[in-house]
Amino acid sequence: MKRDLYDRIVAYIVENQNKFYRLAFSYVQNQEDALDAVQNSVCKALEHYSQIRNEEVIKTWFYRILVNESLKILKERKKISGNEEEMASLSYEEKGFEIQDDLHSHINRLDEDTQKIIKLRFFEELSLKEIAQITELNLNTVKAKLYRGLKLLKVEIQEVEI
Amino acid sequence: MKSMEEAKRKYDEIPIPSELSKRVGKEIEKANMKRKKILVFRRRVQKGTAAAAAVVVLFTAALNTNTAFAETAGQLPVIGPVARVLTFRSYQTEEEDLKISVEIPTIEMISEDMNGLEQSVNEEILALCEQYAQAAKTRAEEYRQAFLDTGGTEEEWAAHNIEIKVWYEVKSQTDEYLSLAIMGTENWSSAYSETKYYNFDLKEGKLVTLQDILGDEYQQIANESIQNQMKENSEIYWDDFEGIQEDTPFYLNESGNPVIVFEKYEIAPGSEGQQEFEIKR
Repeated sequence: MKRDLYDRIVAYIVENQNKFYRLAFSYVQNQEDALDAVQNSVCKALEHYSQIRNEEVIKTWFYRILVNESLKILKERKKISGNEEEMASLSYEEKGFEIQDDLHSHINRLDEDTQKIIKLRFFEELSLKEIAQITELNLNTVKAKLYRGLKLLKVEIQEVEI
Repeated sequence: MKSMEEAKRKYDEIPIPSELSKRVGKEIEKANMKRKKILVFRRRVQKGTAAAAAVVVLFTAALNTNTAFAETAGQLPVIGPVARVLTFRSYQTEEEDLKISVEIPTIEMISEDMNGLEQSVNEEILALCEQYAQAAKTRAEEYRQAFLDTGGTEEEWAAHNIEIKVWYEVKSQTDEYLSLAIMGTENWSSAYSETKYYNFDLKEGKLVTLQDILGDEYQQIANESIQNQMKENSEIYWDDFEGIQEDTPFYLNESGNPVIVFEKYEIAPGSEGQQEFEIKR
């Protein structure tokens, strides 16, 4: 049983590693940190895989680890470079992925939870229920935060499918 | 303000560095290695046996002889003594890229009391197996140190796949005799392979010697037979065969004839392997 679960987690990771990388990148905004975030997440996941009871939760469980690892790296970096958020994201800008004054960079300025919810919902296309599991918030809170976030971003709610 | 679709498109365009799969693969590999050790450890805990660290000990009672025969023989009023060989215990361990598997046999006499012989032999076998496994481990560790000291890396060492095996084989079992071989090998070096034979006389309840089987002239009989057999294949043997000794190893085959065994290098180049000569009675 446990063996099957372990193998499935490995398979899931291998299959979805590109997605993980993108999500990590959307947080940390540079290749080296994004790679670190994914690698740390894989390490944590395989070390603690026995925590999960069934394979249905592999996905949300792994995303939770990944987001936490990405945020951890971001926080450590902020500690080093002071409190200037803007500086941090600008100085780590990568070629081929220029951060402009577009929706994406606005998303990155939202609060942690809202950021998570929007990225997971629209970029990773997870369901609100899955997002509730990942963020450990209840479903109504997730919805409320999502609406508020979209309003802040001035995205027309009719424009997107929630 | 651009649309969410646009943001998503941009997100999907985040380039994936080729290093990603390498890093992920490395992490999985690391976890796999760790996991193997944990599984071994867990099995030990589940069995509830106390043992040296990272060693699994399983007590088994798997008959390696003809099960039906042995069971029937054990239940019926038996005519003549019957013995069987059981795996007393087996364990496998893996530490620092060293694989060790040990299978220790034990002799069980079903009907006849063998004057404590089985017990002393079993103790001897147990000590022999453990001694060999321990010595082989020490040799492997020395080899590892020498390998690393001379510029080898840990990765290269791991690729050596060092394995130590101790196991046994029932050479023959009749109503009269039980013949058993205990073997130890190390996969990186054939120089230390060891085999020890135990031949039981089940009627008399003792270990048999060549003299018991071939009579007082056993040395002459065996030497003549061996020399005749060597002539048939003379080119491979060194020409200084000095004859057998009292303690020359042998086992009994199914027809009850002794088979004399010369270890590698003893009478022929190592490439010829172990040499066996059946001595017909």
